[in-house]
Order: sequence, then C-alpha cells, then structure tokens
Amino acid sequence: MTPAGAWTKAFAALLAAAIVIPVLAVAPLAFSKQSFLQLPPHDWSLRWWEVFFADASWFRALMTSFEVATLSCLLSVAAGTSAALGLPRLGPRMRTIASGLFLGPLVAPVIVLAVGLYALARSFGLVGSTLGLVLAHTMLALPYVVLNVGVSVAALDPRLALAASGLGANPWRVFRTVTLPSILPGMLGGGVFAFVTSFDEVVLAVFLAGPNVKTLPVRIWEDVRVEYTPVVAVAATIMIVLAVIGSAVGRLATRGTA
Amino acid sequence: MNAGRRQQTARVAAAALLLAPAMAIISLGFVAPLIRLAILSFSAPAGPLAAYRELATVDVYRIVLRNTVILALVVTAVSLAIGFALALMLIRLEAAWRAVIFACVVLPLWISVLVRTFSWMLILESNGPLNRFLVALGIVDRPLPLLFAFPGVAIGMVHVLLPYSVLPIYAALSRIDPALLRASGGLGASPATTFRRVLLPLSARGLATAATFTFLLSLGFFVTPALLGGPSDTTISMLIDSFVEERLDWPLAAAASMTLLVMALAVIGLAGRFVPVGALSEVR
Repeated sequence: MTPAGAWTKAFAALLAAAIVIPVLAVAPLAFSKQSFLQLPPHDWSLRWWEVFFADASWFRALMTSFEVATLSCLLSVAAGTSAALGLPRLGPRMRTIASGLFLGPLVAPVIVLAVGLYALARSFGLVGSTLGLVLAHTMLALPYVVLNVGVSVAALDPRLALAASGLGANPWRVFRTVTLPSILPGMLGGGVFAFVTSFDEVVLAVFLAGPNVKTLPVRIWEDVRVEYTPVVAVAATIMIVLAVIGSAVGRLATRGTA
Repeated sequence: MNAGRRQQTARVAAAALLLAPAMAIISLGFVAPLIRLAILSFSAPAGPLAAYRELATVDVYRIVLRNTVILALVVTAVSLAIGFALALMLIRLEAAWRAVIFACVVLPLWISVLVRTFSWMLILESNGPLNRFLVALGIVDRPLPLLFAFPGVAIGMVHVLLPYSVLPIYAALSRIDPALLRASGGLGASPATTFRRVLLPLSARGLATAATFTFLLSLGFFVTPALLGGPSDTTISMLIDSFVEERLDWPLAAAASMTLLVMALAVIGLAGRFVPVGALSEVR
C-alpha cells in the first residue's frame, strides 16, 4: 500500500481530533466562573471544585464509587482468575458452554440486565444497598478478567507446574511460586478493567442505587437531567482523569502478557 | 486404568471447584435476573400473553421498535464508513503517527459513556460551539436543532461506538498482504477498482464483525439516546425504562426486555457463524 501523504496525515489528525475533543470538551467547564453550563467558558475559577468538595452528597457519591469499584474489582479478580484457571481443565464441550456463559453480560443489552437485576434485587431487599451494586458490577466485569487472565494462563508452560510438583511442592506452593507470578500481569490488567468498568457504569447503578447509596455516575445522571450547573462538569472531569490513569495503568500491566 | 480414571475425576472436580465462584456470580447476577424477567413477562393480569400482545398492537410501541432499528442501522452504516476510512489511514501511516492516532481511537473506550454523552450535550446545544461555528461560517442561517433530536442521537452514538468499527476493520486490513494491492495497481487497475475488487472483499470479515458489534450495541443503547434524544427519538430501551420507572408496569417492561433480548440474540445467532462474537471483549 502506498505510504500516507500529507493529505492523509492531515485528514487522520482531523478525525482523531474529532474523536478526542468531544470527550474532553467538558473539562474546561469545570474551571469556569459562570454558573451555567456553556462552552467555551468566559472566566476561570475553582469555585465549582469548592462546591463539589463542600457538598457532602457529591463527595459521598465519589467515595461510594471508590468503594463499589474496589470491591467489585477484588471480587471479580478473585472469581475470574479462579475461573480462568479452571476453564482449560474442562472438556471441550463444557468449556464452550462455560465461556459462552461468561460472555453473556457483554452481549446482553444493559437495560435488560438492569431491569432484571432491579426486579430480583427488590424481592431480596437489595435495592439501594452496596452489596447489590457490587454483585451487579462484579458480574459485568467478570468477562474482562476471565479473558485477560485466560491469555496469561494459555501462555503458561504446564511442564513448569509439573516440574515443581515433581520436586515435591504442594499444590498451593506450586500456585504461589510458579503459576501466580506468570499470571499476575493478566490479573492486574483484568483488575484495572474491572475497576474502570464499575467506576464508569451508570445504567445498572441507576436502577440499583438508593437514597443512601449513589455512585458518582448516578449523581451525574440525576443532575444532568434536572439542574444543570458546572458542578456536574467537575464530577465528569474527575471521572475522565481517573479513566486516563486507569488506561495508563492497564497498558503498563498488560504489556507483559501481549 | 483405574488410576487414570481417578486422575480424571480429580481433574474435573478441581475444574468445578475453580469455576464455582464465577458461576455463582453469573447465575445470580446474569441468569437469575433474565429468568425472573421471562417469568414476569408472562404474568400480566389480563393473561399470559397480554403484555406481548399489547407491545405488538399498540401503535406507539411499534413506532418505537421501528425507530430503534432505523437508528441502529443508520449508526451502523455511518460508523462503518468512518471506521473504514480511519482504518485505511491507520494502515498507511508510519509507526509513530499510527501510534498517536490509534491512542486517540481507543482513549474514549476508557471514559464513561455518560461523560462522553454529557460532553455532546454541551457541544450540540443551540448556543453550543458546533452551532456557533456553523453560523459563523455562514453554512446555516440559524442554529440547527441538533440536541434533543435525531441528528444529536446519531452523532453521539456514532462517536461512542466508533472504536467497535475501527478496531475489527483495522485488524482485517492489517492482515492483507500489501503485495496484492501493488499487484492490482501494477496490472493496471485504478485505485477504485483495487478498492472494490481487492480491498473490500479481503476485509469483508472485519467489516462484518464491525457491523455486528455496532448494530448489537446500538439496539440496546440507553444512556446516549436518553440524554441526546427528543420525545420522538424514543428507543426500546427508553421505553423499558419508562415502563418500570413511570408506569410501574412490570409485565410490560419484562415483555419489552425479552423482545430486545431476543432481537440481540437473533443478531448474534445470525452473525455468529461468520463473526467471532466473543471478540467483543477484546475491543477494549
């Protein structure tokens, strides 16, 4: 194929800008002085950051998001790693069924999952509880972990574990000294995906949230539809910064496995 | 023989034990809610099929269903066109350029759909930068009604779903042997002929994968149409939401959910033979 000329480069750069700028457009408004949301801001100030951190409900939403994301990350990494280690031990047919089941949350429309989970959570009194949210987000993040760790597991040389147990190591020691170090990058990568998935997720959270348990996206969702002030832009900017950090960590973590 | 069988039993037991926690989470958080919805959808007071009958016969619901499919088709077509152009450029760029553009393509995947949609609300509004730009250039006389209208929804959804087009097409294009394209050109084919006879057929699988992902995700999209659309841009997912939140009609909400789920499964079933649906998880 012919190498790109100046025009192609210019056009590619334009398209890339059209992709990235709309994502970041909200950030300048977080530093605006005016009290309505309009681009571009005319004067600059940090007043909306002060409002954000002074408002207990915004700050609590941020903390709830951290709590839910951390718990779902830990749970999905634990369950997902275990599943990724178990999958290769299954027969071919069972493996296909199990992997298909793990993909389910990715292809099912999220609104259907949200309504179904809401219906179920209502009968167990889990609406508005951290537990309900954590379980839902763990379910959503699980495919990413199973996949990421699965890649590391597939790259694992089974003879190493065999050699270790032949030399007298018990199964736990084999796992700790042979398996774990090689699949750690996959676990880390999957964990970052899981954390960001939970932190970003809004539809399941809107349905499962309650007056006392609201994640940051739920607060943004409510505010965007009712009152419309630059505090929302502050919250959105915080989410962007965390996502960018997450993507950087994720790239570093998965570098070893690819 | 006996020892071999015992070893195999131990192997299966270990696998079951290792898979148990994840299976418990999937059963509780994925399978059980869907079963609950299936049961609810047949539990309308007017009879087991009443909710489905209502969905099929009330005009408003049929229009919403049709609009959802049209929106998904438009978004898929536009995403494929832009995605193909972008993937083609990516292939031809030198490594350093490609890395930068590629990063720009995948960066949005990390950022919440809600935040991205919120940004578009600010850009598309009648006093927003896009409209002021268009007016200042004299392309339009007065601001276009982009926000809370079909164009806004389509723009927002294409933007959110574009990576699901670019990445599979890029993967397909990068597997094409450049010698084939040189040969085609060397044998006298015009760039247009090379595109039609060589490039397009060889990237068909990538295009099919991109189309499947984009259409599948568009069908069930909720956040973006809910925030960027007007009353006439209601999609089936927004209908489900209003059945639950406003009408409190669970059988109807469940029946609409089942309909959407079956539509998604039909897409997977039809496309699944040609397209690795599992690769959806690799996009990010």
